[in-house]
Amino acid sequence: MNIQTTTPKQQVDAEVLIVGTGFSGLGLAVILEREGNRDYLMLERGQDVGGTWRDNHYPGAGCDVFSHLYSYSFRPNPNWSRTYSKQPEILKYLQDTAEDEGIYPKVRFGTTVTRAEWIEAEDLWQVETTTGTYRARALVSATGHLSDLAMPDIEGLDSFTGKMMHSSQWDHDYDYTGKRVGIIGTGASSIQIAPEIAPDVSHLTVFQRTAPYIVPRRDAPYSEAQKGMFARFPEMLQDFRKELFWGNESRFPQRLQIPAFLAQIEEMSRGHLEDQVADPALREKLTPPYSVGCKRILISNDYYPAIQRENVTLETTGIDRIDETGVVLTDGTHVALDMLILATGFEATELPIAEVIHGKTGRLSDQWQDGGQAYACTTVHGYPNFFMMLGPNTGLGAGSMIYMVETQIEYIRGALQYLFEGDKVIEPDREAQAAYVKSIHDRAERTVWIAGGCQSWYLHPRSGKLTAIWPDYMSQFRKENGTFATKGYMVRDATVPA
Amino acid sequence: MAFTSDVVDGEITHDGLTIRTYDSAPHRRGEDTIVLLHGTSGSAQSTYWALFPMLADGRRVVAFDFVDTDGATADTYADQARAVIAALCDGPVHLTGCSFGAVIAAHLAGTTPEIVKSLTLIAGWIKTDIHQHLRYDVWFKLHEEKSAAMPGFMVMTAFSHAFLTMRLPGEVDALVAKIGDGSDRYAKMVFNRTVDITDAVANITAPTLVIGCTQDQMVPIYHSKLLFGAIENARFAEVPSGHAVAHERPSHLLMLIRDFIDEPERDAPGTVHAPIHA
Repeated sequence: MNIQTTTPKQQVDAEVLIVGTGFSGLGLAVILEREGNRDYLMLERGQDVGGTWRDNHYPGAGCDVFSHLYSYSFRPNPNWSRTYSKQPEILKYLQDTAEDEGIYPKVRFGTTVTRAEWIEAEDLWQVETTTGTYRARALVSATGHLSDLAMPDIEGLDSFTGKMMHSSQWDHDYDYTGKRVGIIGTGASSIQIAPEIAPDVSHLTVFQRTAPYIVPRRDAPYSEAQKGMFARFPEMLQDFRKELFWGNESRFPQRLQIPAFLAQIEEMSRGHLEDQVADPALREKLTPPYSVGCKRILISNDYYPAIQRENVTLETTGIDRIDETGVVLTDGTHVALDMLILATGFEATELPIAEVIHGKTGRLSDQWQDGGQAYACTTVHGYPNFFMMLGPNTGLGAGSMIYMVETQIEYIRGALQYLFEGDKVIEPDREAQAAYVKSIHDRAERTVWIAGGCQSWYLHPRSGKLTAIWPDYMSQFRKENGTFATKGYMVRDATVPA
Repeated sequence: MAFTSDVVDGEITHDGLTIRTYDSAPHRRGEDTIVLLHGTSGSAQSTYWALFPMLADGRRVVAFDFVDTDGATADTYADQARAVIAALCDGPVHLTGCSFGAVIAAHLAGTTPEIVKSLTLIAGWIKTDIHQHLRYDVWFKLHEEKSAAMPGFMVMTAFSHAFLTMRLPGEVDALVAKIGDGSDRYAKMVFNRTVDITDAVANITAPTLVIGCTQDQMVPIYHSKLLFGAIENARFAEVPSGHAVAHERPSHLLMLIRDFIDEPERDAPGTVHAPIHA
């Protein structure tokens, strides 16, 4: 019996299923929509597009990458209000993108993927969700690095009877005015939140485990003349974007710990600390104990001033446990709190989506026990016709994730074209994938993330391997992973015609 | 500051002169080597503080400091480069020059092609023209008068509008403070007024990459386009930058040079690179 003649085409709901409608999934959809050749559907667990920019709306939320770079090159926005836009403007940009490009009708909202399985006999992905089953020839995971929150592992966390919230689940109905507030963590979210809420609370305690490096934020509103120029000369906007891109690209040598580049960034962060903090004891507390760049370098002009307010305490004594009324420090001191903010980031090393994806060799999270591995940072042996956006080794220490996203969009667009125009099933060869992953880890050895002496969310907790970050120039990522080619893939004809 | 943690500084003697050399990986001397010829500003460090270590991440890089002599010509400067190559390198090298260094590199490649495997010319020129003479006249006048305006004049002409306007005021002040009074580049400025390597350029056969800078006020991109026109076996790329491209966009240069050196003949002679999309 020839399965080709007996399996009806209606077996699939779409050629391609895209899980997630944040910057990566939405961007891919825009390109597929504009191209007009692909039949796709999007699955979204939330009620709107926007991903991390929909979820992270805490006070002061904004992006640490220039807006003219942190946006699609294929949808330039001459009207960004300032150098670094805040969350509402970025979310609006994504919503407008979805609206203008006709993406909304393709999204199934309120749909959480519970299990995605490759059905080898039928050459398709069967995706179980909270709203039903979807079947498709190809599956794209676009669920991002910063989508599932990480909770701190502190004894008694659940016993706290005051108001507790993670930064990515901010409850705007709670009024922190006049309250005693604590914030755990001193990463990117925390240093945006603290200056924003400090003037309104009765007292703010910032619990710091490790001080971050902070450099000046060169932030200014764009004039009407600039916006008009960008609108009337789109090439001026693209030139500006390139200037920003190469500026970031020229910071990567810091991560290689090249002396002249390290000296520059160390001088910049030390100068910023000395300009803004006069008290030597406080400076000492705010001086990071690791090599610059090992963890994310933060940019802020108002964090150090906030820390020095009368009603703010920087607490560097470790946390022993949390009780019903507050935080108990390792020296026994009790800090009484009405509100506790957990600014403790996301599950970036072990991507939760991997737990529900089942290929020929089982569950993806089991394959990735020692950290994520993918060919071209996008495809996985044993998982045919599967593509992962912002998967293993795609994060950046200095740069715009949108550049990585656009690189993967072009790669996946090319792969999908190849799949559907030739009725093919592809998956990377095991050896090709292993060799590629090895080349990444070899490169990682020379970077500050491995050699810099700090524990960061960039490193896989069990293997210690650098799995979250791309350890090379962004241009090199595009050179290696920007154009689909069949080299390194096992290719066969699909048993079911598209 | 050392270029990298394991760079080896050395000296060679040539024609009674002592030339300081920098070698990123002496133990790899049998391998392909990139030799960097610095610009007018006086040392390998001042031109290549960024590019030397960036290129040395993966490849062997050699650089040296040119020594000025009275009445120096393109050939006497090129002789120093030949001496360094003979002393430190086996086989033909990937020769890269920036500005004054590009002039010397082009002269060397046209006169001793056998020691050049590939040639990269950044913001170079063939023959000094009247536009450059006007700037040199201002420069020598400021130098003669020991003018306090010299550092600002040099920064303004070296860097692009885009680069300077993205810096904080204090950072531009620091650039002006650091550039000095120009006396360290006097001898090469005397030479620069007289450049004419027309004959040597006509004899270049090595695969060549010409890189011109769109905002260059010192050696306008016209000169790079002339080099591209003159060298049959050349490819052309432009970088949106001022003359100080090695400071403004080292990563952009790195990508162009790495890509070219990997396979110098991959792009056909006459290829003009499309701008890199960000």
